[in-house]
Amino acid sequence: MRRPLIASLFLLSSVAAPLAAAQNTDLSGEITVTAWDVAAEALQGVVAGFNEEYPNVQVTVENLGNQQVYDRGLAGCAAGGADLPDVYAVENNEAEVFWNRFPGCFTDLTTLGAGDLRAEFPDFKWTELSLGEQIFAIPWDSGPVVTFYRRDLYEQAGISPDDIETWDDFIAAGQTLDEATGAKMLWFDFTDDGVWRELANQNGCFYFDDAGEAITVNQPGCVSAMETMKKLYDSGVAEIVDWNGAIQAIKNNTLAGAVFGGWYVGTIQSSAPEQEGNWGVYPMPASEAGGVRAANLGGSALAIPASSDNPEAAMAFITYALASTQGQVGMLENFGLVPSYLPALDDPYVQEGVAYWGDQPIWQDILATLGEIPQARGTQYFQEARQIVTNTLSQYLTEGAYDSAQAAMDDAAQQIAGATGLPVAGQ
Amino acid sequence: MQRNRLIPYTFLVPYLAIFLIFWAWPILYSVYLSFLDTRGFPWALEPGVNWGRIWSDPFFRQALRNTLILLAVQVPVMLLLATGLAVGLNSPLLKLKGFYRFAFFAPVVVGSVAYSAVFRLLFNTQNGAVNAALAGLGLPRVDWLNTPVAAFVLIVLTVTWRWTGYNAIIILAGLQNIPLELYEAAKIDGANPWQQFWGITLPLLRPILLFALVLSVIGTLQLFTEPFLITGGGPGNATLTLGVYLYQQGFRSFNFGYASAIGYAIALLAVLFSALQLRFFGQDPS
Repeated sequence: MRRPLIASLFLLSSVAAPLAAAQNTDLSGEITVTAWDVAAEALQGVVAGFNEEYPNVQVTVENLGNQQVYDRGLAGCAAGGADLPDVYAVENNEAEVFWNRFPGCFTDLTTLGAGDLRAEFPDFKWTELSLGEQIFAIPWDSGPVVTFYRRDLYEQAGISPDDIETWDDFIAAGQTLDEATGAKMLWFDFTDDGVWRELANQNGCFYFDDAGEAITVNQPGCVSAMETMKKLYDSGVAEIVDWNGAIQAIKNNTLAGAVFGGWYVGTIQSSAPEQEGNWGVYPMPASEAGGVRAANLGGSALAIPASSDNPEAAMAFITYALASTQGQVGMLENFGLVPSYLPALDDPYVQEGVAYWGDQPIWQDILATLGEIPQARGTQYFQEARQIVTNTLSQYLTEGAYDSAQAAMDDAAQQIAGATGLPVAGQ
Repeated sequence: MQRNRLIPYTFLVPYLAIFLIFWAWPILYSVYLSFLDTRGFPWALEPGVNWGRIWSDPFFRQALRNTLILLAVQVPVMLLLATGLAVGLNSPLLKLKGFYRFAFFAPVVVGSVAYSAVFRLLFNTQNGAVNAALAGLGLPRVDWLNTPVAAFVLIVLTVTWRWTGYNAIIILAGLQNIPLELYEAAKIDGANPWQQFWGITLPLLRPILLFALVLSVIGTLQLFTEPFLITGGGPGNATLTLGVYLYQQGFRSFNFGYASAIGYAIALLAVLFSALQLRFFGQDPS
């Protein structure tokens, strides 16, 4: 997700890492870490604990905007590694453009011992971060998708989340909710295709096949995702607003939920503190009864540019921040970043009920879907495909430019073929 | 003798070297690039791939449509304002001429990144000065950056703000070249100021207006900074211009071949428009 993972500043205390660890004084020097918004803040929060283990490594965290980090990485790689930091944050979906377009711009982390970490993270996170045996970035957070909902408004309309299994149930419940309270079930707009990506991912479909060799955006799973988007739009259960508009709508009680990655927890808590106790989560609806109720939206990783003078210290920092329970749980607790480090899921904090969410153990519920998430591959052409599908979505839903979802997705597939040179699968 | 002839050229070498490497070579090389398939590695010669795509690409069509609408709306409005401004600045009644001329020219001197940032703040929906003024007048607030039509209007406003004064100064130079005797003669013949404007000022300004028109059309065809920094080409693709689309293809997607083709499409359009303008406005009607 390109949106800033808006800070959940509600619990801004320093990350506690008091576990007595053996000090390593062999590594020394300075490293620079570049990330954006809350991601940078979270990494800054890890520095103190890291320095207890590695007192001689001095870490500087640069906080640039999300798009700026990406543009700067591309420009740096195009310039042969000039002006790149030692640790570089990258979104999973966008990552492959770096390994494919600029082979040699980033260090193969297996030379620094990353091979041992493979089993510690779920498979879907590795898809875009590795090329054959090589590993170019270590998984960080992820965005397991759930439905967020207002308990009080659902109750007022007589809806129970337990009865919502499929998207059809969801839409029917949404119409009841709209009649009773005037509130909507979820939101999206036409500057991004995020909700469509969730639906497609849930159906095991995406822009490209898992090998990244053919365009699959007009396959049945993706077409069905587009049909569901149309139903959500036509039935009036969706609020069409942008990010900030959604926050306003939440505060005004005209938006009773969202279907997003776990990172939206922080946004809800920090924007509507007065609604404490009124929120809850339940799994995303399935396409059909008994279908998959899991998907992923967003998530990032950390990589080391080959131009780094101190890759060992950079790897030590990454390992400390991402491949340790205290690092990942600290970032979850303080910044709402959802860990993808599997051992962190057994941490007691994850099992706890959260007061804001009516004492529901939301992290356990959100992370429980991690293992069921189908793989999806952004490939090096993610940006192009996303731009095209976003435009197709708006054309199909609001302009009536196509007779059917199939026609819309066939056209999108042709456009993506023009932009990427990849063949459309099955043609 | 021989040496004396060479010396001037040695002084020109630094400029010529920079011109050849950073101007002439890229201009020629991008012709070649536009015939390459640069969507992956290695690049391959495939003449039809970019020029074929440009015809069927809905994003290019949208960018072209936006650019043409901008051209049709913004350029005439700006030149009309600039002409009025120039006549005002040329008035013998005006005091502090130097100050006013500088004041209207100043927007061109301001860095475009700086003023784009300021415009983003001024037109901010919640806290912007413009919406505060609208609300003060009892008018509804406008969501400038997030609704398609308003965002487009915003781009028209900013470009007009920036370039009207510049064109006014060019036109002013033209006004000052008109001999005063013509006005005196007209006055003796009993022509009122309005008749003087239509009969003398406008016809004699024609070459300079044509110059300003051609420059503005070329500038608008290449428009990039304002839509890129203020609206990002959005919302949706409402303010996507050819310049912004070229940037996206070239420096986000690294598809240099297609970006080169877009660049040459812009250049061809500029040639076409300039030829049309010279054809229709360039001839002496007499």
